[in-house]
Amino acid sequence: MKKTFLYSIFVLLTQLPTNLLAASGEVHTLPDTFMVIPFVILLLMIATGPLFYHHFWEHHYPKVAIFLGLITITYYLAVLHDTHSLLHTLAEYLSFIALLASLFVASGGILIKVDKKSTPMLNVIILFIGAVIANIIGTTGASMLLIRPFIKINRKRIKAYQVIFFIFLVSNIGGALTPIGDPPLFLGFLRGIEFFWFIGHIWYIWLPTIILLLAIFYVIDSRNMPEDSDEYSGKIEFKGLKNIGYLIIVLISVFLDPAVMSWVPSLSPLPFGIREIIMFSVVYFAYKGADEEILKANEFDFEPIKEVAFLFIGIFATMIPALQLIAYEAQVLGEQLNQGIFYWATGILSGFLDNAPTYLNFLSAAMGKFGFDINNANEVHQLSIDYPIYLSAISVAAVFFGAMTYIGNGPNFMVKSICERSGIKMPSFFAYLIKFAIPILIPIFIIVWLVFFNGG
Amino acid sequence: MNSIDKALKEKKIGLYYGTRVILPFVADILKAVIDDEIITDFSPVSDGAYYEKFDDFTEIYFFDHEDILKDVSKYETIKLIVVDEEDDMFDFENHRRISLNPIEKHTLEISELNDDVIFIE
Repeated sequence: MKKTFLYSIFVLLTQLPTNLLAASGEVHTLPDTFMVIPFVILLLMIATGPLFYHHFWEHHYPKVAIFLGLITITYYLAVLHDTHSLLHTLAEYLSFIALLASLFVASGGILIKVDKKSTPMLNVIILFIGAVIANIIGTTGASMLLIRPFIKINRKRIKAYQVIFFIFLVSNIGGALTPIGDPPLFLGFLRGIEFFWFIGHIWYIWLPTIILLLAIFYVIDSRNMPEDSDEYSGKIEFKGLKNIGYLIIVLISVFLDPAVMSWVPSLSPLPFGIREIIMFSVVYFAYKGADEEILKANEFDFEPIKEVAFLFIGIFATMIPALQLIAYEAQVLGEQLNQGIFYWATGILSGFLDNAPTYLNFLSAAMGKFGFDINNANEVHQLSIDYPIYLSAISVAAVFFGAMTYIGNGPNFMVKSICERSGIKMPSFFAYLIKFAIPILIPIFIIVWLVFFNGG
Repeated sequence: MNSIDKALKEKKIGLYYGTRVILPFVADILKAVIDDEIITDFSPVSDGAYYEKFDDFTEIYFFDHEDILKDVSKYETIKLIVVDEEDDMFDFENHRRISLNPIEKHTLEISELNDDVIFIE
């Protein structure tokens, strides 16, 4: 059983295919396996650049990301003559960056001042609230809104582990209960899964995971209590409340998709829609209308979002071949895959690739396994009723495993960047993975697998 | 000798030319954050920054930032933890949180960081 399981994962990740039935249902020529090399190089450079060639990386990462992305784009245009995959990826990228940028700028104009003494219990409460809020304003919105007050409260005893648990809980795992929480679930919602399906089928996995992580955090945080004789008023102050309005506009605009509301006009063949126009407008108006004092206090800077924008141009472009190869394997091997394999395969790949398309590809494979078509909303809905365990496994893994690396989810990088600008030394890519993600998250993810997805 | 207090009280400006920053007081620098770079190693072999004290001023070289005005954006500042040369640097009470705001014509506005700005020592 164990051997078959490991073999299936191995085959899924390595076998060489020749043709592809993509998640979209359109037939494309499969890329050569060598075309994953630009993606691997980019991942390696993101991991090693800040460590071993900091100066070069600092100044040239945009050029590196664009150059590697161009290799893939040129290959698709000149060799595969496949513009559809490129346009589709461009549309996904614009959606991704529009959401991130609008939430980043809108929350950058909000100042939350909390004059309370930092205690492990207060931190646990903030992280729990963050995990819940992530389902209402998205993991990006919750991260951008809460990271600065979280650092301020802990300013006398802030350590990297506190920020890392913030990334685990608020920037990733917290957002597993609604389609707004994390982009992959939103893609599932667009395909036909009911809005409240996620909270109904994932809360009992989400809650113990959150409690377990908070318990681990509490134990670690209790050991980090230097003497603090300062007096605190206990006051909580909000400034820049009009930007809450912008956040609400962004959240409403998320649903302005022709696939969700038929009256919303499609701007096809343009690679963006009304939603992205609204989001980019929010970026402009929220920045122009923000209170300068708040921007100064938050030391607002476009650099974190610029860094994400450039790196993810490269990631989105170079990962097209990797995702298409995975999609093909998922289709071919769908019959052999049980919920445990769906869980681990979706999870491992979501830690290093963008979790949204990874989610869609495995959802497509699960649909194929039961004779359903992912392009038929009724059949997607039927899968969520007949085989909820498969959908749970894919959804949980796509969201939870985003916490495994800095590149697993958009807000991870932004939180890291904000912390470094505040003087907090953050672990490198490898140190994050080896010292924190693997020892803390993997045992929890194994427990989740054993308890919830080890059958079938 | 020019102290930090005196420079702040008289609203003295600092200067920057390329990678070189000149501060109108004499102080030891314990930590600097410029852009997303955190610098605590100011030794001559450091590739991040180096500082030297003179009779009336302190100069810092941020080796990796040839155009400070470009690297430090509109609402950002260079943040420093500094200690007056005459003060005991082992007493945390003497550690000052200073911000340097690059403005035009090679000048730096110097001010004490308020509590709203996050800067962890």
